[in-house]
Amino acid sequence: MSLNQESFQEFREVIRQLGETVQPVEGLTDNERVRRAKQVFLTRVHSAMAMDLETCIHCGMCAEACHFYAQTKNPKYTPILKVEPLRQYYRRELGPHRWLFKLVSRDITAKMLEEWQELVYDSCTECGRCSMICPMGINVSAMISVVRQAVAEAGYMPAELRAVEKEQNEKGTTFGAGPNELKAALQKMREDGVDVSIDKDKADVMVLISGFGINITQDALLATVKIMNHLGVNWTIRTDAYECAHFGMLSGREQTLRNSTQRVINAAISCGAKTVVTGECGYGYTALRWEGARRYGKPLPFTVMSISEFLGQQLQAGRLRVRKVPQQKSVTFHDPCKVGRIGGVFEEPRALLNALGVELREMADPVQTNWCCGGGGGVFLNNRAAPLRQAAFESKRSAVVETGAESVVVSCDSCRMTFEIGKANAHWEIPIESLVVLVGENLAD
Amino acid sequence: MSLLDFARGPGLHWAFIIFVFGICWRFVGTLLIARRIKLSTPRRTDNWLMGLKAIETRSWPVEEFHRVIRFQHYSGYIWHISFFIVLFFFQPHILFFKSILGISWPGLPNDVILVVGAIAVATLVALLGRRLSHPVLRKISNVDDYISWLVTTLPLITGFMAFAHVGGRYETLLALHILSVELLMVWFPFGKLIHAVLVVPSRFQIGASFGRRGVRA
Repeated sequence: MSLNQESFQEFREVIRQLGETVQPVEGLTDNERVRRAKQVFLTRVHSAMAMDLETCIHCGMCAEACHFYAQTKNPKYTPILKVEPLRQYYRRELGPHRWLFKLVSRDITAKMLEEWQELVYDSCTECGRCSMICPMGINVSAMISVVRQAVAEAGYMPAELRAVEKEQNEKGTTFGAGPNELKAALQKMREDGVDVSIDKDKADVMVLISGFGINITQDALLATVKIMNHLGVNWTIRTDAYECAHFGMLSGREQTLRNSTQRVINAAISCGAKTVVTGECGYGYTALRWEGARRYGKPLPFTVMSISEFLGQQLQAGRLRVRKVPQQKSVTFHDPCKVGRIGGVFEEPRALLNALGVELREMADPVQTNWCCGGGGGVFLNNRAAPLRQAAFESKRSAVVETGAESVVVSCDSCRMTFEIGKANAHWEIPIESLVVLVGENLAD
Repeated sequence: MSLLDFARGPGLHWAFIIFVFGICWRFVGTLLIARRIKLSTPRRTDNWLMGLKAIETRSWPVEEFHRVIRFQHYSGYIWHISFFIVLFFFQPHILFFKSILGISWPGLPNDVILVVGAIAVATLVALLGRRLSHPVLRKISNVDDYISWLVTTLPLITGFMAFAHVGGRYETLLALHILSVELLMVWFPFGKLIHAVLVVPSRFQIGASFGRRGVRA
């Protein structure tokens, strides 16, 4: 099944107008903006990051790993340059030789933070590929995330991201997909004869979905429900905590991320979930799987798995039974950066594709250095960045074309949107398929 | 006190103190910044092995990036190796180390040292040319990059001058050579040359950090 094109076009229109729904952050003095940014730097820099900041030799190799540089050859997109406000702050106010650098280096300014907005939001998807190339072993991507948070706190953030972040902070929803919209979508499934486990008091598995799943990728939502029923596990979707996306993380607003994470943790504890399965959402996975415990303050009392990981393990355990896809076809699999390179899930989605009997044609770069689709980090929502995103998408498109595969399988809603937008802009005819949908449509009886 | 006496005496003494104390200060100061405790459940618990592995794997251009970064990697190796050959295998340098450490080792013929030294200088000049002409390097370079280049190149240049007795009295040239080495030692703890010390923990931590998530880095 392909994406509902009507919903997809409506969604594109929503994105176009998203930025107009919020007002720019005003009333902050330059000093206040700088103070806020520095506060972020002070709280986010840790010893490992300090080591990275001290070790850089300015070799510029990270540029070669960045799809924004690779496609534009504009040196300002060099990843390490995106870290500059943090580096300047660190040397002057936190590093061991601050007594010296305070005398001979310049302080960061509000103007600098404003200028860096484009570098950390429009031309960085936080994909982490730059961290894989550095000969010094510097985790460049992690530092760019810190700069992004500082720029956000200083009041400089793309309006589209601010709009969704604000909505999630105030209402707990994204793109207007509230509990009523979720219930309506699930009710429609019931009417079609699909059993839906909703708001169970006790469940072993709690499933998270995203506002996308309710609004646009309903095929993935339906497939998820069918698969969970097929597995026969005690599962549920909770209307008080179903949102998988974390626009606090995408935008760099810590408080929003903390709130959305806590909401999910509370619901999972409340229903006694042993496993929380994040839907096809890259940030949703990494925010809970790798960052959730830090915000909770202790190890999470449940296991977190991405849906591709969960289904792969269910397959290997013999609980998930799939049939071969009816028409033999070749596919290539796009690893979402936050699930693959940042999250460590590589084998399970491939095990699923193997069980489905498709011919998997891997892209030239190995899984951990796979090109990003260009839409991560909220870039797919950022209207100002659309031309850059399309340019970056070319790296991915070329990698896919080289495989000669008949279709692309993805396992992240935002990647799926980016592929759909990118292929439409490039007049590229290739089916973009959701892994979950592929599994859901081919469950063995 | 002559210039040579100063260079051999208090100059060397203070340069050494700044060199050692500065490195320790910077290294320990970095370690003392609050550590981030990871509370998430690791996918792999042998992540320290992946940290050790990263020390080796990051020493070479990763295969998929090989085409675009091989020049930097291999030119880096050429100049580092030739620099250390000159430093440790030139006979007068071995005598100097023996006077301090009490031990010596076999050296290389002067002709070999001259060729290797010339390779080091040529590579450094090529790297500077690249830094000045490559759009990315020009964009990201700062004063540290140029000072570090200068203080690394000067000992080689003054070494050649002293060896060939070109540009002044031998004693003066020798003093300038020693002073240039001292300049390198004094700058080392403050600029990017510190990577020679920090590269090992830095590589280890990215390997271990990604490793606990199950990702080879």
